[in-house]
This record gives sequence, C-alpha cells and structure tokens, in this order.
Amino acid sequence: MSKYLDLSIEEIHELLLSKKIKPIDLVEEAFVRINNNELNAFITLDYEGARKMALSLEEEEVQKDNLLFGLPIAIKDNIMVNGLRCTCASHILENFISIYDASVVTLIKEYKMIIIGKTNMDEFAMGSTSETSYFKAPINPWNPKKVPGGSSGGSAVCVASRITPFALGSDTGGSIRQPASFTGIVGMKPTYGRVSRFGLVAFASSLDQIGPMTRNVYENALLLNAISKKDEKDLTSFETNEDFTRLIGKNIKDMKIAIPNYFVSSVVSLDVLKVFNDTVEILKKEGCQINYVDINHIDKAVVLYQIIAMGEASSNLARFDGIRYGLSKTEKSLDDLYKKTRSEGFGREVKRRIMVGSYILSGENAKIYYNKALQIRDDLKKSFEKIYSEYDLILGPSSSRIAYDLNNNQDDPLRGFMDDILVMHANMGGFPSMSIPMGFIDNLPIGLQIMGPMYAEAKIYQLGSYLEKKLHLNLEIGGSNEL
Amino acid sequence: MNYKKTVGIEVHVELKTKEKLFSPSLNLYGDLANSNANIIDLGYPGVLPTVNKEAISLAVKAAQVLNCKIRKKMHFDRKNYFYPDNPKNFQITQARTPIGYDGYVEINDAGVIKRIEIEEMHIEEDTSKSIHSKERTLLDFNRSGVPLIEIVTKPCIHTSKEATLYLEALRELLLYANISDCKIEEGSMRCDANISISKTAELGTKIEVKNIGSITNVGLAIDYEATRQEELIEKGETLKEETRRYDAKLGKTILMRVKETGNDYRYFPEPDIPYLELTDEYINKLKKEIPTLANIRRQKYLEAGISQINVEKLIANKDLSDYLETLLDINLKTTANLLLGDIQAYLNKTSKKITDTCLTQEKIKDLVKKLDEGVISHKNFKDLVIDIMETDKTIDDLLKEKGIQNVVDNSFVLDLIDKVLTENEKVVSDYLNGNERSLKFLMGQVMKESKGSVNPKVANDLLLETLKKMKNKL
Repeated sequence: MSKYLDLSIEEIHELLLSKKIKPIDLVEEAFVRINNNELNAFITLDYEGARKMALSLEEEEVQKDNLLFGLPIAIKDNIMVNGLRCTCASHILENFISIYDASVVTLIKEYKMIIIGKTNMDEFAMGSTSETSYFKAPINPWNPKKVPGGSSGGSAVCVASRITPFALGSDTGGSIRQPASFTGIVGMKPTYGRVSRFGLVAFASSLDQIGPMTRNVYENALLLNAISKKDEKDLTSFETNEDFTRLIGKNIKDMKIAIPNYFVSSVVSLDVLKVFNDTVEILKKEGCQINYVDINHIDKAVVLYQIIAMGEASSNLARFDGIRYGLSKTEKSLDDLYKKTRSEGFGREVKRRIMVGSYILSGENAKIYYNKALQIRDDLKKSFEKIYSEYDLILGPSSSRIAYDLNNNQDDPLRGFMDDILVMHANMGGFPSMSIPMGFIDNLPIGLQIMGPMYAEAKIYQLGSYLEKKLHLNLEIGGSNEL
Repeated sequence: MNYKKTVGIEVHVELKTKEKLFSPSLNLYGDLANSNANIIDLGYPGVLPTVNKEAISLAVKAAQVLNCKIRKKMHFDRKNYFYPDNPKNFQITQARTPIGYDGYVEINDAGVIKRIEIEEMHIEEDTSKSIHSKERTLLDFNRSGVPLIEIVTKPCIHTSKEATLYLEALRELLLYANISDCKIEEGSMRCDANISISKTAELGTKIEVKNIGSITNVGLAIDYEATRQEELIEKGETLKEETRRYDAKLGKTILMRVKETGNDYRYFPEPDIPYLELTDEYINKLKKEIPTLANIRRQKYLEAGISQINVEKLIANKDLSDYLETLLDINLKTTANLLLGDIQAYLNKTSKKITDTCLTQEKIKDLVKKLDEGVISHKNFKDLVIDIMETDKTIDDLLKEKGIQNVVDNSFVLDLIDKVLTENEKVVSDYLNGNERSLKFLMGQVMKESKGSVNPKVANDLLLETLKKMKNKL
C-alpha cells in the first residue's frame, strides 16, 4: 500500500505535477488509513464527495505554485461545509445539514483542497479532552488509553495519525494548541480577525478563532496563507496579505524572548518543566536573549475565561431552540418545547456552561462579573503588550501536563480549565500563539507554546521552524502508519 | 384635588433602507412571506452580522431632526430573551450607547409652542412577524432584521392632546427627513405609551399600553387608561405594573400580562460588531442631505400666498409637496391649486404617484404660465387632464389637437359680458355713476355665466374695457 501521505507536501506536489499520482490516490489512501484505525477522529466522512472532487481535479492542470492543490484536509465539525452535516458534536445538531460554506471553506475549495470529512470535538467546543462529544470520543493515537485533548481533538488525531496533512481547528481557550501539544502536531491560533469566523458555529465570539493544524511548521504557515483573508461577512476580520513562510529559515540569534515566571511556576508539572527548560537551553546557546518576566493579571486568565466565554456562550447557544432547525421536541406549550429540546439536545458540560453564563450576565451580576472581567481583560492585554514592546515573543509550555487518561475528569469541571491555564492569554488578548512539539514524556508528546504580539505569526513560524529543525523529534507514531 | 396624568411614549420606526440592518436581505414590506430572509435573518448557526451603513446614516439624520446629541463612539448590545419571532433568541440593540440622546420635538398646542423631551433614540433590529391562528403560529422572517429606531420620550407628557400632537410632529419630521414611511397600518411606526396618574409630585404606578393602532387611538387610550386607573385607586385598589393593549372597537385597554419582577435581558456588548465611530465630517455631511422639513415648507407656502387649508393639504401629501419642491421660478399658488385640484383627483382615481405620470417640469411650468396669462382656463385644464398626465404631448399640441384654443378667445368672453351687462342694467348704471363695488358683482356674474371656463384675469380686463367704453359713450 502507498504511503504518499507520509511525504512532505512538496514531495507530494512533485508527484502530482509529474502525474505519477493523482489526487484520487491521496483520497483513497486517507480513507484506508481511517478504516485501519479506530481513533474516532471523524463524526462525518464524505468519501463520495471527496472522490468526486478528486476526480474533477483530474480535468484540471495541477497548479504549479499552489502546493495545496489536490491535498486532503479535515474540517472541525463546528465549521460549515455546504451539504455536509455540521453537528458540533451535539445531539441538538445531530442531523443538521449545512446549507452554506464557511468563508474559510470557500477558500479551502478555491485552493482545490479536498475535504474528506468533519472531525470529532468536544460538544460545541466546550471541553479540553474531546470527551464531551455526543459521539464516541476520539482517542490519542500515541496511546489508546489517553485523550487527544480538545476541543479540536478529532482534527489533531487526524493529522497526528497522518490521515491528512492538514486539518482546521478552532481555538477559544486553547482548543487548537492543547490537542496539538497532546498529539505531537503543530497548531496555530492566529491573531483574532486573521481568519474569518463566518461559518464557524460561535462558542465565545470575542475569543474564537479558526486555525491550521498540521504535521510541521512550514505546512502550517502555508495553510494559514490560504485561509487568512479579510472577509466582508466578518466585521472583526482585517486586511491580511502576507506570506507567513517568509521568515522561515532566517537567523534567530537576535531574538528577544520573554518567559513569564507564571509559566514556569508550580502550575506546571515538573516533567513538562524539564522538557521546556531543555528547549530554552537550545535558544540560549543560539544566542537569543531570554528573560524571565512577571506579567500583571497573568494568573487571572482562567477566571476571565470562565466569565467571558460562558457569558457569550449562553447567548450564542440560545438559537438552538427547536424552532427553525436541529432537534425539535414538539410539545403543547412553547416553554415545554424549549425545555425539552434543550435539555435533551445539549450535553452536561454545555448545559453547565450555559447555566453559569446566564447567571453571570443576570441583573447585577453583569456588573459584578462580566463588566469587571472585560476591564481586567483589557488590563491583561495591555500588560502583555508592554512585554511585547520589549520582547519579540513569549515562550511557555503549551499544556501543564501530558495527555491524561480517558474518562478521567468528567466529574471535575474545573480540571479541564486548569489544563488550559497557559494558553488562554492569547485568546484574551487576541494574540497569535502556536504549539509545536518539544519533546516526549512517557512516550507522549508535549508542546511548546510560542506567543507573539498582534500580527506576528511570521515571527512565530520563524522561531518554531528553527526549533523544529533543531529538536528533530521523531513524530512518526510507532506502527500506526504501517498499512 | 385632581390626579395628574404622566405619559412617556416609546415609538419604533422602521428605517427606509434598501437592505436589512445586519444582512444584505432586502427590506421590503408586503412581499411573499419568507422571501426576503437569508441565513442571517433566520439565525443560522455560524452566521455573523454586518452593519448596514445606510441604516446608520438614517439614524444619524433622525437624531438630528429630533435635536438629539449624537454619540460619536458607540456599540451594539445583545438583549437576550427567548421567543419564536426572535430567531437568535437575542436581539441586537443599543442598550448602553444609544446613538442619540437629550433631544426634543416641538409641538404647537393651540398656539403655545412646547418641547417634548426625547430621553434617547437607539438603533435595533426588528423581530420576525408571528401570524397566529387557532391551530398554530406561523413566522414570516421578512421583517426579521429590518432596521428600527426606537425613540423614547421623558415622562413629560401630561395630556392626550400633547401625546397626539407629539406623535403627529414626530411622524412628520421622520417622513419629511426621508427616514421612514411612518405607516402605522403597515407597522412601520409603532407606538407604546407608559401611563401613570398621581396627585403628588411622585409618579404613580406605570402601566404600559403597547402597539396602539393609530395616533388618535393613542390619545383615546391615554384618557381611557387614566380614568380606569383613577377609578381603581378611588376604590382603594393598588395598581400593579402591567402591559395592556388598546382595543379600538371596545374603546378599552385590555390586560396582556402583569410585568414580572426581575425581567432580565442579560445585556452585554455584541462581540461580533466592533465599536462604531462617527466623525464630525460625516455627521455634518448627513445634516446637509436632510431634505427641507415640513415647517420650512409651510412657511414658504404661506409666504407664496397659498391658503392655510391648502398648505396643510400639501404637507399632508408628501409626494405632492416633494414635487412642488423640485419646481423653481413658478407661481406656487397657481401650482398648488392645480396639484390639489384635478391632479390629485386624477392621482387618487388612478392610484398613481405624481412622479409616475407624464407631468414633466416643463409641462407644469407651461400650464401654470398659460393659466396665469389666461391662455387657457381651469375648465380647459379639466378637459385635458388625462391627456396631460398620460401622454408626452405638449400643452400647445393638446390644445391644437382638441381645438380648444378658441374657447378662450375674447369674443366668447365679450359675448358673456354683453349678456351680463344687458341683464343687469341697474348695477351697470350704479357703476357708471361711481359705485366701484358694483364691479365685483358684475365680475362674479361673468364668472358664473362662464361656469368657470374663462380666465378671471382676462374676463376682468375685458369687463373693465367694456365698461370704460360705455362710460366714454355717455
């Protein structure tokens, strides 16, 4: 059996250009890999659609300067793909078929990429293990007893197990970076507004951002090139026209890097700290200027996240009411229709967050909690900006520990948030942040987080690519690719 | 001591935009149900709002004609509540930063100019329309997302007259500024009144009467409600805050629901719409675009010698007034008579707008000139009106074609004058003996005989000429 999908995308592109392979070969290979694994990476597969697209591409010239031409990609199941189910891993949208393409999906199609399916996730992206999915939870390809992280767990599994070189995830409080860390892939949460959110089912609108999940840094930058574009349909999107690969390979010697003391404090497990410190040593040797800094309000991110994300979520999820689409429990009275539809349709974690969010926004609470949180969020952003006025980038671990056991934290609602304690700042400030693999602990990968000021993705890729090369980790999962 | 009424009025007005407030769907009334509703208006998962700039500009103009201060930096808020006509189960509105505040509308209450103070006005989206039947409720999302402004007065209205005068003035302002159609019957203007009574300076319990069907009914509802409240208080009952509706057939307000305490809309800033900033330049530019408002037109018409009654008729018919505004260097009085007479009758009969007819500026100018000069009479015009309105032919061509030039030739008028003078020998001799007043009578008789078909100026000149000749003969 072929193993084209293990090749770099430049190599695949060469094969396509020289007509040694066709896009359909890649699609067939992806589906063989899906069928050989039981990773539950997908909620919906579109074999027929993917085949059709691949065959139609045979009629076209392979675009020479489009490295993404004909390559398979997986889309997180909270992003609309016309004609495909979009469940958000929820019972309430179990049979909801999208009637439009998200703006980001339109771009994916313009680049002639082939969408093979919709990936598993935490229900409405609420969770950090992907276990709140209404469907069978995805598992970590490195160890079937471990979670892949979440909420973009399915996308992470898909890329980590080399089913597709690319996947899209969404990140509200670490949902791209934490699963990337747990599965040994590269995940970028771009600057807020870099990628249009039109067609992404909103969880917390002011924090949500779609981003690329890939096998390596270069491919990540390439996919970001494709999906970042100002969109008239998303007022928070901005003019963006740059090549994110442009700094890759450039010298990093003079980079000034800040490490928040908080990121190396007792909130991080010792084994993760050790891997992190080893990575920092590489940079010191290279001549980077590294300082440990205190950042005002840095310890408040989880609290802010709980207030802001849940407040917004309680409003964003109100539209799922059984009246126009989705699950609908017809009852005699309107109140009963709402109650029955929503209590059956939503899972426990989603309901918990809607309840907390509604409480936070109620009456005087809005002033006490929500408005206060917005103020502190602003201060937090400013204190990060102050650091960025002196440093190029901020570094830390992507997660405070390695992937944990399946079915472990269902009864501790706070546990999941605490794991995202290091990644929420980027969402609060709108800053770009990426996770790349930095090492292994107990044969499980662990990620490094590189965070930058607004619009600094290219610089993040520069450092990420340098470290990736220097660390030269073997990220082939033992045996899982033997087809 | 009597109870004093205190009323605050909230008015929702639909803005006359091409598209909806947060989506590119068309803002059209009366189309097939759900034909102007896209995924945004239906609150589909994943959709985001965009802001219709035309709606913002109309709201800025509204704030200006209502003499409001304009907020230069503002945001939208989400008002969260569940109802089937509210597709996202939140409404995008402006709770904290209304675009306009601290304004006023002037009313003329029997010669006394009063200011009705505007607390604030804000922009928000309309809900969809529920159509209830016994079996079920249907929803029409054509209205979902239509731009509205809500205008809220201070509780500064104390009589039903003030309330109706305010609403009439408000309607006229918004209509003439081209902000809204203000058609209450089509729901593009909706009025709610908050009514309380009290014997002291402290306000009484507020009762809201929602969605009253006409301006007159707002006045009736206020008076009915004040009396009802007084009777209850006199009976020793305690009023509760509640929402009522006005039943015009019964002439009564009817309880809809008692207001629950802690009605909680969980407002928070809309995260999908960035802050909006208005520059002075933009605001001033919009100010210049506001068409001439009704009061200025009134003054101009009166100065042109148009009668008070005709002035009000013109103002009440904005299409005609707008048409008049486009005409320069013209006798406004004659034009107004034309427009309000046979032309309006024609328009009413054919249900046409004046701008949809063949009455070009050149044509009406020519008409007015010919009437003033006595080349044609009103009767001629009456006979020609359909051809004038429906064909491209010039007035001269029409006159030729119909052979009506001769109708107004002097011999016809002179014959009439001869007849009148012969029949009124006594009056004629009075006149010849110096009684100037007799002329008026004779003139009246000439007009009567001609049944209005001759030009008064021409007839008057000819009559004077004839009488002069007679005097000279004496």
